[in-house]
Formats: sequence, structure tokens, C-alpha cells
Amino acid sequence: MNDIGEFSLLIALATAIYGCVAYIMAARGNRIDLYLSADKTPLIVWGCVMISSICLWRAFLTNDFSLQYVWAYSNIELDTFYKFASFWGGQKGSLLFWTLLLTTYTVVVHIQNRKKNLRVVPYAMAVLLIIIIFFLCLVNFSTNPFERIPLPPEDGRGLNPLLQNYWMVIHPPTLYLGYVGFTVPFAFAVAALISKNLDDGWIRLTRKWTLISWFFLCMGNLFGASWAYVELGWGGYWAWDPVENAAFMPLLIATAFLHSVMIQEKKDMMKVWNMSLILLTFVMTIFGTFITRSGLIQSVHTFDEATLGYYFLAFLFVILFSCTALIVSRLPLLKSENQLDSFLSRESGFLFNNLLLLGIAFATFWGTIFPIISEAVRGIKITVGPPFYNQVNVPIGLALLALVGVGPVIAWRRATLSNLKKNFLRPLAVAFITAVALFPVIPLGSRVENYTYITFILCAFVMTCILGEFYKGTASRMGLHEESIFGALSTVTWRNKRRYGGYIVHIGIVLIFAGIAGSQAYGTHVEKHLKPGEKFEIRGYSITYEKLVAIEATSVKTRVIAQLDVKRNGNHYWTARPEKEFYKGQNQPVSEVDVLSTWREDLYMILADFRDDESATIKVYVNPMVSWMWTGGWVIAFGTMISMWPDRLEQRRRLERFRREESLFPSPAQE
Amino acid sequence: MPLLKFTFSIFVAAWFFVSVSATSYAGSLLQDLENGLMCKCDDKCGKVLVNCTCSTSDKTRAKFSKMLDSGLTVEQIIKSQVDEYGETVLSAPTKFGFNLTAWVMPFIALVAGGVGVRKVIYSWVDKKDKIVAQNEPEEKTATSEKYSKRLQDELDGIEL
Repeated sequence: MNDIGEFSLLIALATAIYGCVAYIMAARGNRIDLYLSADKTPLIVWGCVMISSICLWRAFLTNDFSLQYVWAYSNIELDTFYKFASFWGGQKGSLLFWTLLLTTYTVVVHIQNRKKNLRVVPYAMAVLLIIIIFFLCLVNFSTNPFERIPLPPEDGRGLNPLLQNYWMVIHPPTLYLGYVGFTVPFAFAVAALISKNLDDGWIRLTRKWTLISWFFLCMGNLFGASWAYVELGWGGYWAWDPVENAAFMPLLIATAFLHSVMIQEKKDMMKVWNMSLILLTFVMTIFGTFITRSGLIQSVHTFDEATLGYYFLAFLFVILFSCTALIVSRLPLLKSENQLDSFLSRESGFLFNNLLLLGIAFATFWGTIFPIISEAVRGIKITVGPPFYNQVNVPIGLALLALVGVGPVIAWRRATLSNLKKNFLRPLAVAFITAVALFPVIPLGSRVENYTYITFILCAFVMTCILGEFYKGTASRMGLHEESIFGALSTVTWRNKRRYGGYIVHIGIVLIFAGIAGSQAYGTHVEKHLKPGEKFEIRGYSITYEKLVAIEATSVKTRVIAQLDVKRNGNHYWTARPEKEFYKGQNQPVSEVDVLSTWREDLYMILADFRDDESATIKVYVNPMVSWMWTGGWVIAFGTMISMWPDRLEQRRRLERFRREESLFPSPAQE
Repeated sequence: MPLLKFTFSIFVAAWFFVSVSATSYAGSLLQDLENGLMCKCDDKCGKVLVNCTCSTSDKTRAKFSKMLDSGLTVEQIIKSQVDEYGETVLSAPTKFGFNLTAWVMPFIALVAGGVGVRKVIYSWVDKKDKIVAQNEPEEKTATSEKYSKRLQDELDGIEL
């Protein structure tokens, strides 16, 4: 089976090369025979990569330690659940997994578009295949997951204990789906540049792809934060680690892109800008991969055998250079009649939103690469950690939050004093009331507390703006059609999915901002060394340490569990069981925290240490409003789903456009 | 002169942001140390001390507690750590010398970008105004002005 897996990768590479050449020649020479031939290659490539992946999965599930990769990331005792996830636990498998997702996306694009958009699609497929070729070259010749061990050992080294968490099955695939997904709009953008079809066709074709990728990247980031929160045991969820930054930057740029394409769709403006943004988004996804796999920047996420940096760096420069050259060569065609009615308009709001999003992306990028710059200039390696990002990004983020409220309410084309007054009076009044109401209640003084106060005021402002939009739409519908409030609300949302879905996403963003602010400013923690029966108090919780239990979970894993009784107002509230897990052959034990999460706050328990006399060191965090962030994530998911839901009106418009196009440009079959 | 104004405003803005951000974290002295220093364990975990849960970080915290109890200030402890491990032990760049560029650059870029966006928007508005002026009839009648105003008011009320 391993030979089949290895051979399939070679076949996939050969087919991808052929497909790429055939697509380009078919498009350039108008060769229908080549097009029809190339048309089969995406499916063959996907099939081969899938066979190869199945072979690797099989090797994990059957404990085939003759494969070096399986030996390094699995062992006999590992749960089947984690054996399945070990596939992407190391560099070799994760690259194969990336290739599998990329080829899967390519096949879906192929099926969606094979009989339409024939001026653009062949080039887009060629670009997708070029990227697939790059990854296939890596998995074939540099990081082959089917590399053998001459004398297979009886057992494997096992998966890193920190990765043995259910999020391992969810977080990396979600993040990869986001990363890889941006290849599709990138490919169509490049195809539009090459084929000189530079209207907004490529944007409409890839809008859903962009949204899906954005959604997965957003959720991937949140899932990663959630994983860090429950697994790393330090009470936090985001550490501004270079690899976290690498996933955050494309998300910011893609968000800027999602907003600015609306101006192109509405006013046929900013073509160069949008083109640059989607190219930059893709470049940032490759940059993220470069960071994880180069070992150049110190990170907790870096793969053990991070040796692929130069390949990714070279690939990065090739993409940057060729795309820049392509955009420059097409500048006359990308020129649009940029006109605005007024400085005070929603269009301007979008431009400033882009500026702030890119500002945060740049600050994050700058902080990530500054250690390298410092070493190059001064010969001194420095660290750029959370204090830098918190101090630089928070003020920009707050300005962005304010714009989240302003954007939907300010008029398109031209905002006048009367409509500004009409639209902003209530939100500003609510913001003012919030400011007055919170002032005597919440602590102020430190930088974090002051920022949190401003965040809450802005959250109130933005929520009023967004809910006001829902209210206006619903009220006018109720007045016109005599519908119930829920009927009118659902009809309004359903008939303007894109707009109201976007508003719901904004509500999710507000919840995330509130959650971050609350948890950063008002959290507290205490560390106590206790003997059984001893108790302590924190924020109204009375915590009694009851006992310590050791369990031989498997032949390689021992669990040491501390049991604590938590009382609130004298009544039993919760029994906490934080634990430490010891894995055979691993130096450091792994903390498994226990968290009781409510809307108000999380009670977060860690077993920090224990001794033979059953005394234990317990660390307790009270983290307010953390669940608001996770709720915000689900609200974003709901809003994105509404935005992406197929719109019959939109489909009809697209169908009519395709018909018009096809009558102008005959399909190869007609030719 | 405009260039001078522009440069001045960039530096004022950058200085403002940096100085506003320069105040330290709230919390205990130990927390200040934990936020300000990296964990220097053998695994090179790359985590800020406050985020690290390894045994080295626990020992380091205990050591810092003792140092604080002995009367050393946060600054003195940080200096001793920098002397021992170099600047890399600090969780963020210092705010002087070359490292200042780390702090100032994002805001310079942001302010420069903001000025650029403002210019672009005004140039696009000017372009539109010129086109409107070219297409307008030479004399505005009172009636046309009245209707223009009414149209504008109604457009203001329309949600697109």
C-alpha cells in the first residue's frame, strides 16, 4: 500500500504538469482538443492524491511503523481518533493534507466552471495546477511521507501530548481550509489578469469562495484560541505567537478585500486595489506557511523538522514578482473611472476600514519580522511579544470597531448633515448613556482598563447602529405588508441575505471585542499550595481541595487528578477536576485544565504541581466574558451562512450574464 | 511647507501613540515581570513568562518573588536578566535606539496611509465635481434647484 501511495504522488505530479501545460496551450492556441484533454486532469490529480492520503491514513490506523512519519507521530496506544489526526501532526503529512485540500477545491472549481467562463477558467485551472505542482514537488522530493525505515521498530514515538486534544481534529483542518481556499480567488484574479477579463466577473465568480475561505480562516483562528485556552494551561487564548500572527494577517487582508470589492461591484472602482488585496492575501497564506516551516522565527507552533523555508521563500518571491509584473502590465486595463460624490460617504468609510485593517496587518507583520531585521541590522536578536502587539494594535482595533458601527449607517454616495443626524443620534445617545452608566461601576486607571471602558462604549454604539438597521427594515416591512415582527424580520433578512448576513457577522465581531476587553481587564488569578481539606476564596467562590487521584490510563499515560469542591453563596456549585497527564518518554507533563464557563465568567482551574504527601499547587483564574468570544464566533458562522446562502435573484442575474457571454464567445464544443 | 506639516503631523501622531501606550501594565510587580520577560527554558518554548507553564517558568517565578522580597525593583530584576541573557529575554523591544522603529513604524505607516486615503478621496470627489460642472446647464433656475434639493433629500432617505 505504501508503494501505491508513493507512486500515486508521482502520477499526480506528472498529470498536474501535463494538465497545466495543456490548459495554457489550449487557452493560448484556442485548441479544443487540448482543452478537452486537460479537462480530465484535475480529477485524476485529486484521485491520485486521495489514494495517497488513504494509504497514509491506513498506515497510521494499522500501526505501520515502517514509515518514518508514522513512527514519528503515532504509537500503538494512541487513540484511533488521534491516529486519524496524526496525519497532519507533522510537516510531511500536513503538506500532503494541504495538497489534498487544494486538489479537492480544484476539482470543485473544475466541476462548477468547466462549461462556462471559458475565457478565464483555463487560466485559473492552470494557476491552481501550478500551485498544486509546487506542493506535489515538496511531498515527492523533499518531505515524502512514505519514507521508509529499513528496520521497522515495534512501536512509534507517539504524538506530542499537547496535540492529543479534540481540537487537533478540528483546528488544523479548519485553518487549512481557510488558507487553501484563498488559492481559488487568487487563481481567478491571476486568470483575469492574464486573459484581460478585468471586469468584476472574477469577483462574482469567486465571491462565495472568498467568503468560505474567510469563514474557515476566522473560525480556524478562534478554534486555535479555544485550543490554546483549554490545553496550554496559562488562562489565556492568544499569545501573538508568530504562527498565530501568520494566520491572523491573511484574515485581516481578506476582510479588507471583502469590503472593498463591494465598491468595485457597485461603482466599478478600485480594480487595482482589489486585485492587489487578493494577491496579498494569498501571499500572506504562503508567508504563514513559510514561518511555520522555516524555523527562522521562534514559535511554539514550528514543526520539528522545519527545513522548507527556502522553498517557500522562493515560491513567495516568484508569486510576488510575477503578480506585480502582471498587474503593472495590465494597469491601463485596470484603470477605472474613480469618482466619489462626497468625502462623507459609505465608500470613504470602506476606504478607511481598509486602511485600518491593513494597518493592523502591517503592525502584526512588522512585529513578526522585526526580530530578523534587528538581527540583520544590529546583530542582536530580540523578541517581539504580546506587550508590543497589545500596545500597537489595540488603538487601531478600537478605531476599526468604531467604523464597524459607522459603515452600515452612513449613506452611500453622499452623507448629508440631516441623514447623519438621523442615523447617528440614537447610537451616539446609547454610547453616551453606556459611558455614564459604566463610569461609576467599572474600574478605570490602567491602560487596559481605560481601553476596556472605551471598547464597551464602542460596542454599545455599534450594536445600536446594527440593531437600528434591523429595526428600520423590519418596521418598514411591517408597515407595508402587515406582517408580524418575526415574519418581517426574517423576510427582510432573507431578501437581503448579503447585507443582513454581513450585519450579523458584525454583531459577532462586537461580541468578540467585548469578550477580549472584559477578559483582559477584569480577570484575576490566584495560586495556592494546599493540603487536602484546605480551602481558599476568589471572587466569591469558596474552593476546597479534596483529594488527589492517580490513574494509569494506558500503558503510556498516567493521569493525576485533583478534585476540588467549589461553593458559591454557601451552596455547592461545581466539582472541578484539573489534572496533569504524564506520557512515557516525555519530559514535561501536560496540564488538562477544568473550566466552568458561564456568560458572566469562566472559572478556570489548573493543577500546577503536586507532592507525594498529596498536597497540590492549584492555580485558579476567573476570566470574565471569555464565552462572549466563542459565542461571537458562532454568530459569525451564522451570519456568514446567511450571506452565502444561494440567492435565486442573484443566480438569475448571473445566468443571464453567462448566456450573454456565451452567445458572444462560443464554447469549445460549439467551435 | 505642506511636506513639513505632513512630516510633523506624522511624528506627533507616532509620538502620541507610543507615549500613550508606554504606561505599564496594571497588576502586581511579579505580574509586571512575568509580562515583561520571556521564559528561558531549555526547550526554547518562545513563550512570555506569564503564558508559560513549564517547570523552568515556575522556578523563575519563585526566583523573582524572592528577588522582589529582597527589595530589588522590577527594573533592577529586568536589568539583571538582560545582563544574563541579552535583549532577547525582554518580551518587547525597548523604546530607544533602533528598537524605537519597531514601535513607531506601524503608526507612521498608518498616518501616511490615512493622509494618502484622504488625498485619494478628495481627488475622486474633485473629479466627480468637475464632471458634474461640465454637464450642468449654464444657468440654474430656481425650479431646478428646488427639485435638486428635493431629489437629494429623497435620496438621503433611501436605503440601498
